[in-house]
Formats: sequence, structure tokens, C-alpha cells
Amino acid sequence: MAESSKVAQERDMEKLYTQRLKRYVTAMQNEKPDMVPIRPFVAEFTAKYAGYTCQEVTHDFEKAFAAARRCAADFDWDAVVGNMVYVWTGLTQAIGMKYYAVPGIDISPDTGFQYLEPSEQQAFMKPDEYDKLIEDPTGYLFNVWLPRISTDVAAMGEPTSLRNNLSFLKGGMAMLNYFNGFGRQAQLLRTESGTVSAISGILKAPFDIIADKLRGYLGLVTDVMERPEKVLAACEALMPHLTHVALSGADPDKNVPIGFWMHRGCVPFFSQEHFDKFYWPTLRPIIEEIWSHGHQVLFYAEGDWGAHLNAFAELPDKSIVFHVDKTDIYEAHKAIGHKFCISGGIPNFLLSYGKPEHVREYCKKVIETVAGDGGYIMDASAILQNDANVENIRAMTEFTREYGIY
Amino acid sequence: MAKQKEQKREPGVCIPWQEKVKELPKISGDEKLVRTVWEDIDALGYVYIWQCLLSF
Repeated sequence: MAESSKVAQERDMEKLYTQRLKRYVTAMQNEKPDMVPIRPFVAEFTAKYAGYTCQEVTHDFEKAFAAARRCAADFDWDAVVGNMVYVWTGLTQAIGMKYYAVPGIDISPDTGFQYLEPSEQQAFMKPDEYDKLIEDPTGYLFNVWLPRISTDVAAMGEPTSLRNNLSFLKGGMAMLNYFNGFGRQAQLLRTESGTVSAISGILKAPFDIIADKLRGYLGLVTDVMERPEKVLAACEALMPHLTHVALSGADPDKNVPIGFWMHRGCVPFFSQEHFDKFYWPTLRPIIEEIWSHGHQVLFYAEGDWGAHLNAFAELPDKSIVFHVDKTDIYEAHKAIGHKFCISGGIPNFLLSYGKPEHVREYCKKVIETVAGDGGYIMDASAILQNDANVENIRAMTEFTREYGIY
Repeated sequence: MAKQKEQKREPGVCIPWQEKVKELPKISGDEKLVRTVWEDIDALGYVYIWQCLLSF
């Protein structure tokens, strides 16, 4: 490419990036941008579109990055995640993590990776270990949890081994390599296609993380009945750490939100009483603390969180973006749309098995009902995997561009 | 956020400087430099374990 044409292209991309960033940020501030922003959380869909298997994008993060960039270049999207598949199983294998079903090893190369939850008896944290976790969460994770979740890490007091030593060496270097890759990826998305990196940093609720990685869902169900004071104390002990991790990965420019992945803290996984007693009092202060530093949090509300919209409405205006999966998007808009931007709500089932005209009809209704005053971002309900139909994703994108102009 | 109960290890820390410095001879040079480098690299260990828990 001639030098002058390259410079012109770079200038165009930067202009496009600036427009898209403004559009995306304006909507997240619950204000009205020039048009409805599009920010699909495309995971294994990128593999399907770019001609890779799930195994390739899960086990080789450079292919995952390339697939995300290919989609960003071909679709008119304002923002994407650099790699929404996210888990790099090369890294998890180096550490020896047991709780993954890896495409091409444990499951078909064309199936997305899976989390395997052990039985209640095999939980990674035992019911009588709450005090150890509460006293020293970081020490507990290194000394007790990591040896249990890894095939290679030796437990305290057991003989060390080559595999033990290599787990830390390879795991640490691989993690650094991967995280550095995200910075490079953000820059390439910006310069190659003018696309914004949609989120920065990670948060999970204390209550959720106990179910996800420590006691297991069934273990926690037992614990909230049999040792509720320990559960609450453990959630409280995790709060400063989860806040610290979230803030340390947040966007220094304070444009894009911290991704908050919501799992099983809602009705009907737990009762309203348990939400009120454990989940919310140990999450709300984290969100408020993060907001006091000027960062928004994207509530990626997997499942139906309709029973808890009134609780979320207690948060400061604009402090969150609420992403709709199974929550009724119209109810969400009514309950919290005056305070927060809403995203998502286009059913994955429709995007996989519906016809493009049905996708357009659904998007039309959502735009008319939810996006009228701004404060809405177009996206599917849940992350888009390789069952999503390319023509339907194209229909969602093109219709939003045509119809979503203010 | 309301002040939490004191923990053995603060957020961002694996081996606190106060614990490490006891193992060292008297520092004749720039102690602040030694401390900063210790804490910066120690924080990577913290990132490792908490990212294992949260991200992977």
C-alpha cells in the first residue's frame, strides 16, 4: 500500500473509532447517542465465522484474537471483547486445572469448552474450611485450593515435583503472555477496524465465587442453611480482594465498564431471603466503591434477574450497565431504565434458529420500546456461540444500523 | 466500602514487605527502591492466584 493511502486509512480508522467510542459511552451514560450502538459479545461465533474450530480458538489464543478481529472488520459493530471465548485452555492445561472440558481433548473440537463442577463430596473447599478462607483468602487459595484444582500442584506438606514447579513457572509466564496479548489486541481492533474494546477488568460477586469455584452450588445451598454466619463472613472476607482485582484491571480512561459475570445468586437458584442476606449486601458496597473511583460495572445478568431489579435500582445513577439475558427486557426498562443503560435481550434461540425477518421484527420491538430515549446497546441475550446463524447476526446488525438512528 | 476485618494478607499482597525485610541484612542502599520492586513483583503473584480463581 502506498504511504499516503496507508496514512489516510489510519486516519479514517481513528475517526471511526472515535465516533464509535462516543456512541458506546454516551449510551452507557444512559444518554442518547447518534444511533443505537452495537456491542455483540461474540464468543465461539467468531470461530464459526472465521473458519476455525472451537478447539482452535480455545487452545490457541492468537487464533481467537484473529477471529475476533475478522468479525470486527466484517460487521459494523461499535465494540467487541478482544476474545470473548476468553478461557485459553493452553494456559489452564499448563496449570493443570481439572475443571475444564477442553474442546478436542475431553469433548468434540466443535463444542465450546465446559466447566465441570465436582460433586458436593468432591468440592474444592470443604465445609469446615470457612475459617481458613476467612482468615487469609489469598493464603487459602495458594495453599489449599490450588493444589485441589490442579493435577500438578503439590499440597502443603507433600513432596514437591517437577510438575509442581513447572505448573507455577509455565502458568505464570503463560498468563503474563496472554494478558499482554489483550493490550495488543485492543490496539489492533482500533487500528484495523476502528472497533472499541468493550470491557476492561473482571468482577464476580463474593457469593457467586463461593458457589462457582469453592463449595460448588450444592455445597453452598447446604451452607446457607447449616452455617449461614460462616457464608456471610466468607463473602465479607472476599469483598476487598474482589474489589481490588476489579479496580486493578479497570480502564484507566474510565470509558468502558468492568465486566461483572452474574451466575447463580438469583431466584430461583437461591431464595429472595438468601439474596437479601448474602448476595446483595456483599455486592452492593463493591459496586459503590468501584463507582466512587469513576468506573462503571457491566452487570452481565445471565439467567433471569427480574426478582432483583428493585435492589439494583438502589445503586447510584449510571453506575452500572444492565445486560438482559432471560430477564424481561421491558420490565427491566420500566424498573431501572431511568437510571441505567440496558443492553442485550435479543434471544439466542432466535439468532440460532429463527429467520432473518423474525430477527428484524424482534430488534424493531426492542428498539422502539427500550431504546427510545437512548441508553440501550444492541446485543444478543447471552454470549454468541457457534450455533448462532451468520445471516441472523447480519440481520441484527444491519437492521439496527438502519432503524436505530436517532 | 466499610472497613473490613483485618486479614493476614491485604489485597494485592502475597508476602508483605514487613515480613520480607526481616530476612534481609541491614539495607545500606535505597530501601525504598528495594521495597517498591519487592511489592511490584509480589503483586504479580497475587494477580496469578486471583485471576486463576476469577478468570480461569
